[in-house]
Amino acid sequence: MRVDGLRKKYGDAAALNGVSLRIRPGESVAVMGPSGCGKSTLLNMVAGLDRPTSGSIVVQGEDLGAMNETGLALFRRRHIGMIFQFFNLIDDLPALDNVALAAQLAGTSARQARKRAHELLEKLGVAHRADSYPATLSGGEQQRVAVARALMNSPALLLADEPTGALDSHSGDQVMSLLNDLNRLGHTLLIVTHDPRLASRCATRLVEFADGQVVRESTLEPTL
Amino acid sequence: MSAVWRAARAAAWRRRLQTAVIGLVVLCSATTAMLALGLLDAASSPFDEAFGKQNGAHVVATFDSSKVSRAQLEETARLPGVEAAAGPFDQVVVAVPKGARAVPAGPLTVVGRAGPGSAVDRVKIVHGRWPTAPGEIVINQRFNVPPKPGALNSKLKLPGGVSLTVVGFATSMSQSAGAWVVPEQLATFKPPTSQMLYRFASAATEEQVRASLVGVSAKLPRGSLGTSRSYLSIKAAFSGPSEDYLPFMTVFGVLGLVVSVLIVGNVISGAVISGFRHIGVLKALGFTPNQVVAVYLVLVCLPAVAGSVLGTALGSLLTAPVLETAFAGIETGTATIAVGAWVPVVCLLGMPTLAVLAALLPALRAHRLPAALAISVGSAPRATRGLRTQRLLGGTRLPRSVSLGLAQPFARPGRSAMTMGAIVLGVTTVTLSTGLTSTILSFSEASSGGEASEFFVRAGRPGMGPTRTLTDPQTEAMLRSLPGTVTVTAGVFVGVHLAGQQQALDVHFLRGDTPSMASQIVSGRWLKGPGDVVVPPAFLTQRGLKVGDQITLKLKGKQTRASIVGEVMEGGPRFIWSSWETLDTLAPQIPADLYQVRLKPGTDAKTYAQAVKAADPGLRAEIDADEGESIDTATVVGFASVFTVLLTLVTALGVFNTVLLNIRERRRDLGMLKSIGMTPWQVTAMTTTSMALLGAASGLLGIPMGMAGHRALVDNVGSVVFPDSMKDVWHVPQLVLLAFAGVTIAVLGALLPAWSAARLTSAKALHSE
Repeated sequence: MRVDGLRKKYGDAAALNGVSLRIRPGESVAVMGPSGCGKSTLLNMVAGLDRPTSGSIVVQGEDLGAMNETGLALFRRRHIGMIFQFFNLIDDLPALDNVALAAQLAGTSARQARKRAHELLEKLGVAHRADSYPATLSGGEQQRVAVARALMNSPALLLADEPTGALDSHSGDQVMSLLNDLNRLGHTLLIVTHDPRLASRCATRLVEFADGQVVRESTLEPTL
Repeated sequence: MSAVWRAARAAAWRRRLQTAVIGLVVLCSATTAMLALGLLDAASSPFDEAFGKQNGAHVVATFDSSKVSRAQLEETARLPGVEAAAGPFDQVVVAVPKGARAVPAGPLTVVGRAGPGSAVDRVKIVHGRWPTAPGEIVINQRFNVPPKPGALNSKLKLPGGVSLTVVGFATSMSQSAGAWVVPEQLATFKPPTSQMLYRFASAATEEQVRASLVGVSAKLPRGSLGTSRSYLSIKAAFSGPSEDYLPFMTVFGVLGLVVSVLIVGNVISGAVISGFRHIGVLKALGFTPNQVVAVYLVLVCLPAVAGSVLGTALGSLLTAPVLETAFAGIETGTATIAVGAWVPVVCLLGMPTLAVLAALLPALRAHRLPAALAISVGSAPRATRGLRTQRLLGGTRLPRSVSLGLAQPFARPGRSAMTMGAIVLGVTTVTLSTGLTSTILSFSEASSGGEASEFFVRAGRPGMGPTRTLTDPQTEAMLRSLPGTVTVTAGVFVGVHLAGQQQALDVHFLRGDTPSMASQIVSGRWLKGPGDVVVPPAFLTQRGLKVGDQITLKLKGKQTRASIVGEVMEGGPRFIWSSWETLDTLAPQIPADLYQVRLKPGTDAKTYAQAVKAADPGLRAEIDADEGESIDTATVVGFASVFTVLLTLVTALGVFNTVLLNIRERRRDLGMLKSIGMTPWQVTAMTTTSMALLGAASGLLGIPMGMAGHRALVDNVGSVVFPDSMKDVWHVPQLVLLAFAGVTIAVLGALLPAWSAARLTSAKALHSE
């Protein structure tokens, strides 16, 4: 992933102010910084959820700036898996269908999508809650289901926005282990977090943000 | 209170789109309600109002003076069941010769009355004064128009050398006379009959009126009662033409009101439900539960009041031209054709009240909801009833965006049911309107004789341009000899009396070839021989007759029995058709003066007219032979179109609002779906599918309802009986198109918010969490 001179303005306020960043395949990068420094904005730009005011983003050789909305949606299907702080599961669907949804939107049949979703839930240890609705799951379980959904289309890049922010410490630990495992399995990770523990446990590189700019980059040694 | 006002105003501004939708829905609903209620009121109340003001007579009865004494008649006023009575007044029928300014030539019923006021039938003087001495007369003014210039104070010369001065014009809603004079004047005519005016305690129906009159006549010598006229027949004649429109008005009006109630309720309750987070924040800021309710009621009232005012004004503007057309040419007397003052008041107060009531229920729910819960759920917790459906649909082969959309209506069953109800009524309206337009257009085509190859040749009359030089038989022969002529039907209109009735009938006597009119027979047959008459439905209903019954026609002292052999689909109550042989028995010397000619297709009408003129300059040839349709095509089609557009708009706005609310509630889901690769097209498909399902289901329900409504309407138009061919307007391609009406309304309403949802960036949507 290559980001060059990325700027994003909301009215007069600059959320990103000339950010450049490179992430190699298999790398796990944590972005940290105070609230409002532009971490989540960067994540949205990389995922193609929002458009930059200027600058370029190239992921897996594809220039996001050259894509229209449909192109960006297809790009996300192929290359991006997203994990949110508040899980963003659909309340009306059981865990299994929440996970299967990502593949079904890409045209995979319901039967195949559910089969793959079940395998993922099994890997993440929540297969026994496959038929449960989000409201009946614990925070940790919901986040694991969300991770399974993010992995559904085997994305090259996993983007996590405060993945442990809404979890108790025990559930947070479980999610951290999970992200670590995923990185070991070869998934590239870009994690936005306030939590130094998460950064130190899951990331190999730390990018520190302030006022929409990268102020420092450092290499981390995973503690786990 | 200022905090409540400020919070409500700020909320209204922040939710500009929603506020505008509420305002627009209330505007359309108020317009529909105003139009519907206004027409219903105008069609029903003017006669009752004017009749009530005059304390009109339930029965105007005429008695044979030679068989009953004045004292006996006076005694009837005290009989049980008689609420009030006036009379006896002397009555005579005189023949007015041609040339009178104040009154048309023909029979005139003159009654001797000392003054306009009495216990019953308080006649209203509209011009001039009441006669005070012999030699003066006041004329009954039937139409609510000023008398001809010079009519007041003109002389009215009657047979026997009597000359009367017209000193005034008055109106009796009971139509108790054609004119009034002082009793002393009438004595000179040696009146053979006496008039009694009765109001009965029981007179709501024709049967009750008849029974009450029987109670009176039973106490009098046998055979003394001559003729009688019930106020119900006058009322029927008054409201007859407007009653043709009444079924249309009622059905569209009721549809309009129900759709309005459903949509206003849905829009407003949805607005309150979607504002639960705001409610939680207000509570957290220290607003009391009552203040929170007040904020939401004010929030709803602002656009509702604006919509009501504008909608009522727009409805008033639309009502005026429709009323003008519907009541054109009716004997209104003193009745004023206008929308009652209560109608705009009801619309102005009713619509905001409805809006407040719709808002009150969810607002009271918000009143009870703890602040923390309100903030956390953001909107009312969703029903779990749709989960099973959602899951089942997720397993189908349908594209996932489509199956997600199909499941959405089940998540909010109440909202979906109300939206669906509105779409059903929208489809019903479209179906009804389509059917009605087809029926009315084929009716109009049949009434106008179909193709324009129908030609009419009129013979000039003395004083009205050149007079004819050819005799009647010569004219007919000449027309038959002209190139291009296929058929010729000769005819003449003659004023003939029906035995037992004072008003003359316009009888169109016909001879020669069968006219195109014959195709309008809905029961019985066309004229074949002497004594045959064909009549319109209004003639039968007003006189309680049916096909097969016998009537007696009277003309200048001669009379003949005639048989009603057929009923045509439309026509005024005083207009009938008969065979030439029937005229021969009454007045054999009257010539035909109107020739109906059917031309070969391709015959040049102008050349034909010139040939007729060349043969006899006293003949006028014209294509237009408008005998007046009882239903104005443009009015009905226009009326149906206005209501269809209004109701479709209201329904589409309701759908628009439902989709808007759904999107607002599912904003976070939408963001997440986009984040996992849902394309804008899939978002649009999901959103429109959610409403298309309701639209399709509504189509299946609305079409049969519309068809049933159409049938009920066309079967109940007062003066017209439509033949089956005009009622069976439904064909497969048309029904297939109509089946899409529901989907179209739903998709039209959903498309705009769907596009806006598709354009919404995921980051923005997810930010709302």
